[in-house]
Amino acid sequence: MAEKILDVKDLVVEFNTDRGGVTAVNGVNLEVFKGKTLGLVGESGSGKSVTALSIMRLIPTPPGNIAAGEIRFRDKNLLDIPLDNMRSIRGNKIAMIFQEPMTSLNPVFTVGNQIEEVLELHQKELSNAQRKEKAIEMLRLVGIPSPEQRIEEYPHQLSGGMRQRVMIAMSLACEPDLLIADEPTTALDVTIQAQILELMKKLQDELGMGILLITHDLGVVAETCDDVAVMYCGQIVETADVKTLFAHPQHPYTKGLIESIPSFDSTSGKVKDRLPTIEGMVPSLFNLPEGCNFQGRCQNVSEKCRGSAGEPKLETIATEHQVRCFHPLS
Amino acid sequence: MSEYLLEVQNLCKKFPIKGGIFGREVGAVNAVNDVSFKIKKGETLGLVGESGCGKTTLGRSILRLIEPTSGAVIFNGQNIVDFDANQMREMRRKMQIIFQDPYASLNPRMTVQGILSEPMDIHKLCMDKEVRKKRLLDLLDQVQLPADALNKYPHEFSGGQRQRICIARALAVEPEFIVCDEPVSALDVSVQAQVVNLLMDLQKDLGITFLFIAHDLKVVEYISKRVAVMYLGNMVEIAESSELYGGARHPYTKALFSAIPKPDPTLKKDRILLEGDIPSPMNPPSGCHFHPRCWNATDECRKDYPGVKAESSTHEYRCFNPIQLSEK
Ligand SMILES: Nc1ncnc2c1ncn2[C@@H]1O[C@H](COP(=O)(O)OP(=O)(O)OP(=O)(O)O)[C@@H](O)[C@H]1O
Ligand SMILES: Nc1ncnc2c1ncn2[C@@H]1O[C@H](COP(=O)(O)OP(=O)(O)OP(=O)(O)O)[C@@H](O)[C@H]1O
Ligand code: SF4
Ligand code: SF4
Ligand SMILES: [Mg+2]
Ligand SMILES: [Mg+2]
Repeated sequence: MAEKILDVKDLVVEFNTDRGGVTAVNGVNLEVFKGKTLGLVGESGSGKSVTALSIMRLIPTPPGNIAAGEIRFRDKNLLDIPLDNMRSIRGNKIAMIFQEPMTSLNPVFTVGNQIEEVLELHQKELSNAQRKEKAIEMLRLVGIPSPEQRIEEYPHQLSGGMRQRVMIAMSLACEPDLLIADEPTTALDVTIQAQILELMKKLQDELGMGILLITHDLGVVAETCDDVAVMYCGQIVETADVKTLFAHPQHPYTKGLIESIPSFDSTSGKVKDRLPTIEGMVPSLFNLPEGCNFQGRCQNVSEKCRGSAGEPKLETIATEHQVRCFHPLS
Repeated sequence: MSEYLLEVQNLCKKFPIKGGIFGREVGAVNAVNDVSFKIKKGETLGLVGESGCGKTTLGRSILRLIEPTSGAVIFNGQNIVDFDANQMREMRRKMQIIFQDPYASLNPRMTVQGILSEPMDIHKLCMDKEVRKKRLLDLLDQVQLPADALNKYPHEFSGGQRQRICIARALAVEPEFIVCDEPVSALDVSVQAQVVNLLMDLQKDLGITFLFIAHDLKVVEYISKRVAVMYLGNMVEIAESSELYGGARHPYTKALFSAIPKPDPTLKKDRILLEGDIPSPMNPPSGCHFHPRCWNATDECRKDYPGVKAESSTHEYRCFNPIQLSEK
């Protein structure tokens, strides 16, 4: 079994808003192993980014607050570390690629300055010339053409795909043990997405880093992840290895998600079948029902799901396969 | 009358690039370049291609929301590019558009009743109070929203419901043709399928013709009988969707389709990884715009722009060295 590098236990994150308090992340457990990729999927607002930001200790406080839980990175609980020390872990041992690359690159510094700054912080022994050389090498590694020129350019001079590759170069410049990638390719075109996912895989093989990959694209999950966790309303509702999850989903939400992807081998020419859908919509975090959060959209719902037996718990139903449902699909 | 509702002929749209202190024209972006295609009544043509390739510009030029630089748009046998403002106003009723971002395209201060009534007022439809009321309720029913939605505001709805409101607004004037510009791209995975099904039902029931723009090829392939592929302003291939997936002749089409992640972890990846970035449309490569990324490129491709070749009556492409059947 590979070494466990990240172990999130019973994480609870709350936000205070004008409309009252919400629990954006409600008892999340996650494990990431060396050299492996864990996919985190779920609807918009289900708490994926909040989970990622908590691991980096980047939750804005206030309004946010990590109310409970542990985030074990190797042998340390990151929640016990003073914020000052966190800075050296961030971007050194743990790196993050954000959902929107433009907001996370500094517009007034050249691409080269920004990569060199990361290196200066984390590899103090390098000379200025060595840093510049390393920055060029990193850009070449992520597939940026003529890196010697690009290094002098500013973020707005690059296309979205190139900016995202610069972000990846920056986050990998210090060879992290853990990479958190929050929708790293969602804003990109599919041919560029394919390049970047391939690159991340190659670097993972070379550096042995663990990856937490947040996405809503189940195609990306199927192709790049070893394990998957599915989130709904701030909770993990199912987790399994990728093959098991796609072949035998146990939670009705997971099954619905997989079925609602338009399939590719549809034979055209005749009228196509309707897409299976999940009816209804995600309940508001301000107004969650008693019992199971998925009850309003579930076809298997019973009295038990409506609160008489409390909330369903995440139960282990097979090795490495857990599901939060009173009536798993089997 | 022809079986085609819409015929687009050699359509071009150039945007001027202004530069210098006097804001003089220093060049132009060929956002849409010599594009031709036809859509039959009641058919859906899918339009795919990467960001900036000109999909939105093409869709809006067809409706003359942007004035095309040259070319013809034949709608019901008439070239609407020649229409004056009065004729165009009448025409707008028959041609509608649905946008990607359902929130930005709805006035937050109007109720759903106001939003749906506006286009009917403009075109003087259902002006009798009783008739109007019944029409509003029918529209909500068609897009599967409850009747009490009429008195609510956009912010009270989810993304998927807002897109239903936009669809109802487009339907309010009984159009024959709708340009759907990324109508499900901003929606959650589980809600996308609901809206896709709704659009397919509406087409079946009302016989509306769609131009369906999206960059999610899975959705396009699903909803469209035929699909057109654009690259840097050019339409590089058009074919039946079933034919494009396995039988693409243009290298870009093949690479694009192979890049889509397949939601099946047991499949072996068989991917064409394109080198390099999408070039800037302001300064496109010479000859075939795809040549810097193309593995079949020859000297001819760097010099000349390939003309249209017909594989069959339904399948056309622009390429000097198309994919051979044995390459598949
Ligand atoms: N700064 C904030 N202030 C208040 N509430 C917040 C804040 N950030 C997040 N939340 C709450 O946390 C919930 C989860 O948000 P999060 O960004 O983690 O969703 P997500 O799963 O990443 O969604 P998406 O797929 O849209 O990125 C949101 O519904 C929101 O209510
Ligand atoms: N009003 C405008 N003025 C100048 N250039 C424009 C204008 N509108 C679009 N363009 C340019 O025309 C090209 C085509 O843009 P368009 O929006 O049609 O692309 P698209 O295929 O719809 O892309 P996306 O998938 O990102 O929506 C782009 O290079 C764009 O920058
Ligand atoms: S607990 Fe009940 S309502 Fe929730 S997913 Fe399972 S069957 Fe459906
Ligand atoms: S014309 Fe030449 S460069 Fe263009 S797609 Fe065909 S083979 Fe490639
Ligand atoms: Mg997010
Ligand atoms: Mg567009």
